[in-house]
Amino acid sequence: MSRVVGIDLGTTNSLVAYVKDGVPVVIRDQDGDALVPSIVSTAADGAVYTGREAQRRLLTDANRTVYSVKRFMGKDVDDLRGDLRLLPFQVSGESGGVVRIGLGDRELTPPEVSAFILRDLKHRAEQFFAEQGEVDNEVDRAVITVPAYFNDAQRTATRDAGRIAGLEVLRIINEPTAASLAYGLDQRHTGVIAVFDLGGGTFDISILRVEGGVFQVLSTNGDTHLGGDDIDLLILEHVLADLASPRPTFEAPGFTRTSEQIQALRQAIIQAKRDLSDREETLLLGVPVTRAQLEQWIAPIVERTLEPCRLALADANLRASDIDEVVLVGGSTRIPLVRQRVGELFGRTPHSELNPDEVVALGAAVQADILVTGNRDLLLLDVTPLSLGIETIGGIVSKIILRNSTIPATGSEMFTTAVDNQTAVDIHVLQGERELVTDNRSLARFKLRGIPPMPAGMPRVQVQFQIDANGILSVTASELRTEVEQTIEVKPSYGLTDDEVERMLIESFEHAEADVAARLLIEARNEAASVITATEKSLRSPEFPAIAQSDLAPGEQKRIEQALAGLKHVMSSPNRDAILQWTKALNDATQHLAEVMMNRSVRAALTGKNVDGL
Amino acid sequence: MISETTAPTIQECRWCGAGAPADASFCPQCTKILPLPRRRDYFTFLGVPRRLNIDPADLEQRFRDRSRQFHPDYFYNAPLAERRASLERSSYLNDAYRTLKQPIARIAYLLELEGALTPADKAAGAGATKVVPPGLLEEVFALNEELDEVRDLRSGGASKDEWTARLQRARQPIEDKRAEHERRIAEVSRQWDALLGRPAGDAERAGVLQALGELMLERNYITNLLAGIERELSQ
Repeated sequence: MSRVVGIDLGTTNSLVAYVKDGVPVVIRDQDGDALVPSIVSTAADGAVYTGREAQRRLLTDANRTVYSVKRFMGKDVDDLRGDLRLLPFQVSGESGGVVRIGLGDRELTPPEVSAFILRDLKHRAEQFFAEQGEVDNEVDRAVITVPAYFNDAQRTATRDAGRIAGLEVLRIINEPTAASLAYGLDQRHTGVIAVFDLGGGTFDISILRVEGGVFQVLSTNGDTHLGGDDIDLLILEHVLADLASPRPTFEAPGFTRTSEQIQALRQAIIQAKRDLSDREETLLLGVPVTRAQLEQWIAPIVERTLEPCRLALADANLRASDIDEVVLVGGSTRIPLVRQRVGELFGRTPHSELNPDEVVALGAAVQADILVTGNRDLLLLDVTPLSLGIETIGGIVSKIILRNSTIPATGSEMFTTAVDNQTAVDIHVLQGERELVTDNRSLARFKLRGIPPMPAGMPRVQVQFQIDANGILSVTASELRTEVEQTIEVKPSYGLTDDEVERMLIESFEHAEADVAARLLIEARNEAASVITATEKSLRSPEFPAIAQSDLAPGEQKRIEQALAGLKHVMSSPNRDAILQWTKALNDATQHLAEVMMNRSVRAALTGKNVDGL
Repeated sequence: MISETTAPTIQECRWCGAGAPADASFCPQCTKILPLPRRRDYFTFLGVPRRLNIDPADLEQRFRDRSRQFHPDYFYNAPLAERRASLERSSYLNDAYRTLKQPIARIAYLLELEGALTPADKAAGAGATKVVPPGLLEEVFALNEELDEVRDLRSGGASKDEWTARLQRARQPIEDKRAEHERRIAEVSRQWDALLGRPAGDAERAGVLQALGELMLERNYITNLLAGIERELSQ
């Protein structure tokens, strides 16, 4: 039986988890790292890199490297105006069409870029299961999480990404809900929980009632454009403005604003931001920055999270004091100011026992397990975050399914014709809370065709809207006046068509060769990195001087050091053969040393001596 | 206007052909989930009588129990037709619970179900009704005068505090009317529930429904008036 997994496809990092003996577990690489940076980069030879390797390429090939692609999912260029500041890569497209991202000579849609990250995770999980000795280690089905406040287009784009990556997407579930599932597992608690999820690019607040294993979302709110990225960008613009001023505070000699330099600066800023979650002061470009200063910069962004919380409470008909527990999710909730403001709003200390980066993937794995096993202990009842409506006369939206309706949900509307023998009616479907069509997100424009010719006003066309458990809309229509109930063709006009997704899936196979080459290179580098780490650890061990004197042959230490330097030198080159050769050389050079150290530790263990220092 | 036709008491399982009670959700023979019946209503679906006073905790429990039976999560591996039945039942359940848990939506639904509220009434109730309900003539007349004066004040350059205070005063009688309405709606709702407990003539039931219908239209009108005042206040 092939395996199913839960995937948290994040703005900054992505990760994959599965359920082992009823307990969700995150899948890590050899270094114990669970997070795959959600970054994709292409080389001149067409090879595609993902994760850490792509992250490194931000500093060398910034213009061919995409990060935070989640922000582009389900958007058109008009949605993104003002969003493209300081991005190293090109974004293009037409109004109402899918965005295209330029990566070298390839132009990719956001679902295709996301599919590279999903394939990386799929491969990571398959490798893990193979190492576990699984006979069938194929991973072909997954639950993928999205921000609760994602609209229909963004959810559909995520599902398309899964399909392009060769995954059957069992379910799209909301990140805060997934997190609550992971939190609610061991404690069979009952009560009202607020999940505050501030990630790299998006913010969600969900309020749930948990009782008897049923996790019922009462309301959700958020901002799909609010997260750590905004904090980084804010500080980045601040520092860039400072550097451009006549007497800058920050020091950056030789800074000419190349894409790579900006990316290096962005990474330095991210590091400083993280440092300041644990410390009061850190260095940025050689200048001390305090936590108070950071908080002053980011306070407006943190404040923007509070209003959605109040709205969610109001929609759930609750006061802050009715909330029994507050759970923090997402890397940005490590920021002390965020914790403080959330604590103040809800009047209680938020929970953060589980790793805020991992909890969503864990919950996704639990949901995947429920779907394939039919286990009825737990049940998620989620809601649709935004109202669904159709355009009526005067550009006004008539709402058909209200926000925070439990899904699956249905709604229907009756249409008729305006002129005799009219056989088609235009329908415009929108999502959002505003009165006017222009203020809402247009989901689809379609023509109802095949209406039987009748005098004006006679046909009774019932259009049925169904939001499924993924929060994704489907529309069907039938004419009720004619004896035979007649199904009418509905064709949405946004996003990717099924044929396009199919073509992208095929293209991804065609590019698979280059992708495999990229992966092999990454694996070679990972292997090299772990040999380097092990060697350096041995050389630095307090035992080493004694060993060198008594056990190593003359020149042996020198040979080890040369091999180490050689491997370090080729490590970052794209020459996989050279990396493999030098890795072997270092392995060979250290083989004797490793044996000696192993013998010493065995001897020490036998004589009962403490071996911690080895 | 109570439906004269009686619902069939038996349905045929479309999977195994066995007979099943009309309100059964799963076939007693083959245990498969049955499609949503054509003849259905929210009250029957949640297993509660057609009353207007419903214990919210009991309703919620019924909703949760049925969710555990029907939810698409538990039919992921089932054949398409059963998945569809699960989706339809879950959707209907969610719509039913959402409607019945809110007292006002519950009344509107009952009126529709009993044929006392036509879709045209519904549409009129949802939008702004042109015709002022007779019971509100006095309040509407007074309010319109106030609003005219407030607009004059505003265009005459009066301070915001001044016209805001004026609007707040104008709102009070409408708020009072609403409170009174809530009481009367609750009272008539109790009458309806009492009728269910004893044999009552159709005429008596129709009378209660009509009273409820009129109250609901007035209520919508009041809501629109208050929304109008809010709009003025936010100017």
